[in-house]
This record gives sequence, C-alpha cells and structure tokens, in this order.
Amino acid sequence: MEYELENPLTGFEEHQSDTIPSLFSYESDHMTYISTSKNRDLDVSVRRQAIPMIFQFSCNSDPFIPYLAVNYLDRFISRQELPHGKLWMIKLLCISCLSLAAKMKQNDLSLTDDIQRKEGFIFDTETIQRMELLILGALKWRMRSITPFSFIYFFISLLKLKDPQLRQALKNRATQIIFTSQHEIKLLEFKPSIIAASALISASHELFPLQFPSFRTAISSCIYINKEKLLDCWNVMNSTVMNSYESVFDMIISLSTNNTPVNVLDLHFSTTTSQSEKAAAATVTITERDIKRRKISGSDLGYCGDKSSFQVTQIQQC
Amino acid sequence: MEKYEKLEKVGEGTYGKVYKAKDKITGQLVALKKTRLEMDEEGVPPTALREVSLLQMLSQTIYIVRLLCVEHVDNKNGKPLLYLVFEYLDTDLKKFVDTYRRGPNPRPVPPSVIQSFMFQLCKGVAHCHSHGVLHRDLKPQNLLVDKEKGILKIADLGLGRAFTVPLKSYTHEIVTLWYRAPEVLLGSSHYSTGVDMWSVGCIFAEMARRQALFPGDSELQQLLHIFRLLGTPSEEQWPGVSALRDWHEYPQWKPQNFARAVPSLEADGVDLLTKMLQYDPANRISAKEALEHPYFDSLDKSQF
Repeated sequence: MEYELENPLTGFEEHQSDTIPSLFSYESDHMTYISTSKNRDLDVSVRRQAIPMIFQFSCNSDPFIPYLAVNYLDRFISRQELPHGKLWMIKLLCISCLSLAAKMKQNDLSLTDDIQRKEGFIFDTETIQRMELLILGALKWRMRSITPFSFIYFFISLLKLKDPQLRQALKNRATQIIFTSQHEIKLLEFKPSIIAASALISASHELFPLQFPSFRTAISSCIYINKEKLLDCWNVMNSTVMNSYESVFDMIISLSTNNTPVNVLDLHFSTTTSQSEKAAAATVTITERDIKRRKISGSDLGYCGDKSSFQVTQIQQC
Repeated sequence: MEKYEKLEKVGEGTYGKVYKAKDKITGQLVALKKTRLEMDEEGVPPTALREVSLLQMLSQTIYIVRLLCVEHVDNKNGKPLLYLVFEYLDTDLKKFVDTYRRGPNPRPVPPSVIQSFMFQLCKGVAHCHSHGVLHRDLKPQNLLVDKEKGILKIADLGLGRAFTVPLKSYTHEIVTLWYRAPEVLLGSSHYSTGVDMWSVGCIFAEMARRQALFPGDSELQQLLHIFRLLGTPSEEQWPGVSALRDWHEYPQWKPQNFARAVPSLEADGVDLLTKMLQYDPANRISAKEALEHPYFDSLDKSQF
C-alpha cells in the first residue's frame, strides 16, 4: 500500500476524519529523542554531517524522500549508538535511510545505485541490507512515520477557510516552513502535531495578517494541543525560519520593483495554482532556494547559520 | 531468534508454518510466523517494508493481533528470512466453535458470546477499513480467541496486499472459498470493503449454526450454495451483476426463508445478518454502521 506523508494512516486518497484521534495517539511512538539522549553531542555531530549528505545524495528526487530519510536518521540515532568518527558509517547510514525512504514512497530501486555511481563509493548490497535491517529493528518497523505533514490537513480544516486557493497557499507555505525547520535540532523535542500547528500559525502570520489572531485561536484551542508547547515551538520556529520570512519580503519587493518573469511566474504559481499540491510545494521550494542562493552568493554569507549553509551546499552540488 | 524457544507447531498459515514459542527471558508466549519475504538484490523488498509497517500500524488496536516485533535469521544461503512475532492467543474461532459442536457436550454457542465476538470483529474490521485496508481473507481460522477473557482478534492481516490471496496455501491445502463474497466469485475486478463484510456475515451465521453457511468446494459450487439460499441475483437486485466477468446463466432459485438457516438467532441478529449478506456490495452494511445496529443494544460496551 502506498504511503503518503500527509496521510500516513490510510490507503485512501481522501483524508479520513476517523483516523485523526489515532494520529494524535500514535505520534509519540514516532518522536526522536536526540535532545534528551545521553550521547547528545555525538548525535548532534552525526546529524550535522549526515543531513547535508542526505540532501546531496538525493538531489532532484521527490522532496519528501530526503525529508523522510532525515526522519528515519533522527529516530535511528536517538535509539542506537554509532561508533564515533567513522565517516563511512555515516555514509552507509545516509544511503540506507534514503533507500528505505525511497522504497516506502515509491518503487524507485535505482536510487542507491545512482547515488553510489555519482558519489563514487560502493557498499555492496549485503552491507546496505544489513544496515537497513538495523534501522528497521531500531525503529521497530514503524516506517509509516507520523510527521508534521500528517496534521496539516486537519489543522487547516479547523480554520474554516472557504477559498480553496487560500487554503492551498497556506498549506504550501506551511509545507515549506516544515521542510526548512527540519534542520533545527531544537524542534526535535516537539511532537509532529505541535510543529505542524506552529508552521500553520507562522504561515498565516505571513500570508493573512488580518485573520492571524483568529487562526491562532482556532488552532491553539484544539483539544489535542498543549498551548504552552505550541508557544515554545512557535518561538523556536520563528527564529529558524527568519531567513524564509526575508525571502518572502524579497519576493514581494522583487515583484514590485524588478519584475523578472521567473519570479512573477513562480509567485503566481505558488499562490493561485490549482495544480497538484506536491507540484506546487516543490515550486515554492525552488523559488525560495533560488532567492536564498541569490542572496547568499551576494554578500550575506555571514548571516547564515549552519542550517542554511546545508542548503547552500546542497544547491551548489545539485 | 535465539531469544525464542519453539514449543509446537500451531498451524499452517497461508504463507508458512506458525509456531507457538516462548521468549526465553520474559517467558512471554508468542506466535512465530515465518514469511516468504526473502531478501533480494535490492535489500529489504519494498513490498515487505510497506506491508510490515502497515501491519505494525494496524496492530495498535486491541482488536487486531499485535505484531510484537520482526526478527530476521539467515537461511542456508546466508540470506536473511523475516519472521513476524505476534502475541499468542490460545485458540481460534474455528476450534472454539468446534468445541460446541463436537465433544462430550454439544450445545449452542451462548448468544451473549456470539454477540460479543461479533462486536469485536466489527470493531476490528472497522479499524482496518478506516485505515484503507481490506483483509480479504476473513475466516474463523483467522480470528484468534482468548477463551478465558472472551477476547477475539483479527489475524493474518495485511500481507494479502503484496501477495495476492493464493488458491493453494503453502501446504497445498485448498484455500477456503466459504467466506468469499459473490462479487469476488463472479470475477469483479473492483471490489471494496464489502468483501470483508460478506465474510463477517458468513462467520456470524456460522457461530449461530455451528457449521458453515455456504460450504462450497469449488467456485461454481460456492455460488450455487449462495444462490440456493438467497435466490439467484437479478439485475434489479444487483445492477451490473450480469456484466461481471464470470457471470453465466444460472438456474433461477427463489430466496429461502433466511431465518430458518439460523434458527437460534434472535430477530435483531437475523436483521443484521441480512444486511451483511446483501448481494449488491453497495447495499451491504459497513462495519461502522454494524456497530450501531440494534443487535448490539443489549451488549455492555463499557468492557471494550
């Protein structure tokens, strides 16, 4: 059965309101515990090396595949000790996480071969398979990860937004924020639902400032949400996605002053498209990365923390 | 796998032997089910990955047999084989019903037990269906029972998707047709949750009768068993039936008095059963609706 991050509990295309309580009750099984683990420093350093590798290895693939691979990676390293300082081990881990993510998402079996060919290193099938089994065991085969994406539809439904285009715009922006904030280790301590709720609040703050207070109230008064956690998470997220905020301003400014056709098209696409959600989300990703690349390659490199430089590396190598 | 001590073979699952085993450290009894999910060139096969993670997700309710973990052992060629480790229940519904039919003291299955088991079965099926999963092979052998606690759980779930339900099992025992819905028997390519509800109906009747309702030994005989009791289906009753792939001209039987097939069942039960055994899958009651049926009004639901 297909697995969609936005709809992890069912094989149905449409969302099933029946499964909402299950989502909230299962999500704790899918948490990572890096920020509380004994080996925090080691975990953090493995993560710091591994995430750029995953993005580098997976360029041009469905953006949900590296996202899912990082999710497996985080859950794995918070449960399993890794030998210190072994770069090949981290590579093997990254390839195996990506391989598992690609298998869950689609039948693209050429991914690991492609990576190995491109990157010029070879792990034999048996080695990758052993690593896959190690990861599966540590994750108890809970591979249909419950991620923030799983909750987006539910929280948007609380907002009573009638216009499908506005709903789509909000969803696209929240999706982008979730992608961006995956790098932030401080966010790992929050439940996926809290991250989804924060991302939607942030997105509505940017896109619909007038309705923002009512949206925030609608989401924070949901019975499944712990308000304090939501506020904590939102604060962390705000600082994480500061770059993205600026990108949006950039985009608006570039629209009003310097109408480059690419940007007009992209912005139009990201706000009014009725195309498939995934395609739209991917477009927003590209638009923003584009802007970020321009900005960074200009003069502002010093502004970027670690997390953004991951993206820079990724863009340059893709 | 060294963790477990194999105690005895308890069955032949559709996909291989099932052993009762004991966790050497905790003493917990488990059911070990060998799968045919062999590793291939590409590592863990995507189908195995998706099916097992689906099973893992679905087994988070008490109405489904719990998947405790997945173990892998190397076979003779050094390839890992996957074993699924499930919670152990002492019997299944087939054996359970048999104890009432045979043995020194044949007697009906108590109506309260039938009602409670049906409720748990519908709960489990509703859980699967709300997650978009069809069981497709519900039968008494696949429903595990804890006699002492009066618990019934659905087993053998999930793997049906990756490996289409075979006609012969691993042991070459013919896979039973008795619970198969008419649309499947007639070769419909699009079937849905109704196929499970048909099976649930057959199981319901079987508990009340202590013997199978439609014991066919071939696909044709299976259809004829159904038609003899429910009448040969017509286009009015089931629009599109005569266009199904394996439809032929059949003898025209009239529907029999249904309550006579399940004489021990009370009127509400007969009504629910009738709604489960509707010819047109679109008219068949859903598991969720069944839970609301008056048949269950007298059940103490607080225990679930």
